[in-house]
Amino acid sequence: MSFESDLLVWLPQLRRYARALTGDPAWADDLVQDTLERALNKWRWRANSNLRAWLLTLLRHRFIDQLRARHEVAVDEEGAPWQNMAAPDGKVDGLELEDVQRALYRLPVEQREVLLLVALEELSYQEAAAVLKVPVGTVMSRLSRARERMRQLLDEGGDRAAAPSRPPLTVVKKWP
Amino acid sequence: MNDRQDSTCDSLEPGDDQRLLSALVDGELSAPERAVVEAQLAADPEAARRVAHYRAQKTALQALFPKPAAVPSLFLQRRTPWWRLGVSALACLLAGVALGLGLGTLSLGVDKPAFAQRADMAYAVYAPEFSHPVEVGADEQAQLVSWLSRRLNRPLAVPSLQEYGYTLIGGRLLPGEAGPAAQFMYQNKMGDRVTLYVTVFAKHELTFGTVQGDGRRTIYWASRGMGYALSGRGNEASLRMIAVDTCNALGGHADSWSG
Repeated sequence: MSFESDLLVWLPQLRRYARALTGDPAWADDLVQDTLERALNKWRWRANSNLRAWLLTLLRHRFIDQLRARHEVAVDEEGAPWQNMAAPDGKVDGLELEDVQRALYRLPVEQREVLLLVALEELSYQEAAAVLKVPVGTVMSRLSRARERMRQLLDEGGDRAAAPSRPPLTVVKKWP
Repeated sequence: MNDRQDSTCDSLEPGDDQRLLSALVDGELSAPERAVVEAQLAADPEAARRVAHYRAQKTALQALFPKPAAVPSLFLQRRTPWWRLGVSALACLLAGVALGLGLGTLSLGVDKPAFAQRADMAYAVYAPEFSHPVEVGADEQAQLVSWLSRRLNRPLAVPSLQEYGYTLIGGRLLPGEAGPAAQFMYQNKMGDRVTLYVTVFAKHELTFGTVQGDGRRTIYWASRGMGYALSGRGNEASLRMIAVDTCNALGGHADSWSG
């Protein structure tokens, strides 16, 4: 029972991470459930180590598999699952939560996941590197890119609000 | 072609500076690095704005995704097919957890299933019975189990509750909601009784919870197409322990026959 109760300690966080990652509560709940089932089946073969990191790793593997199966939900696509999320209200530290949400799902998945692991779940770089199976240096660069991208998107959002007539991003230059 | 210089280009590696600013926000810098970066911030308003923005992003993300308070609503909906291994274990685990967390009065699944109410009622009716508490006694346990298995059209297993001081005294067949149900009765040295109610329950969702009233308590769960309910009086903690163990014992059995 002790492994099981350890598992439960992390349930709320797993669930939060899955929701943030997918932007889709139903998908997230499926992911968490799959993850728990895997964990329950596999734990015997594991030595004592960082349970949370391991759970997040399992969850991420499932997510990536399912993403492939869904043919990569296109970033910012009209029918993307996160489009159904309730638009949050309010402003935090000068940022509109709704804009932050939109920007988050416009990040490429590998930037979104590292940003969520570190900024939301507050994993150390070391732990995030273990979950993502990349060197710590890569965590640092991806994270930094993710934050810069968020910054640009959020600034853009502000511009767009100010000048709604601006055309969308797909401008193709024609060369004479 | 000057676009190559554009700092918004995704493929540009972030400079060391930006990586350090980002690491500062996460508290991942050593003391000397930190001192250098903080000195830089004091001299460079652009860098200071970046750090403030990164911090704001972090706060906003945490506000966007608060930690869910309670677990239960998580398992309301369920797909069916390929998840098979470990599901019983999961149901037991969740039942144990919900009860352990004092969420006993909450139930998963949309409503409390009818079989739980029936189990509770059957306990109320038969547990106080002195002359005929069971139809078939435990001295004919093999016949009892094969008879009830035949009537429910499922291989039933009767868990031993000896560990808790309860001995099987027998069982009976009862009308259930969608067909027959079996009730197994156990008794301890003091004459206290608990019953295990078993019936077919085809809903493919994880279901568990408790029904209580009049000093009785029924803990129910569903696993692999069957609904189970353990009813008793008195000590809630011990009933809960028995239920979780029974659930595990029966889950193990179900694992072995469904391959």
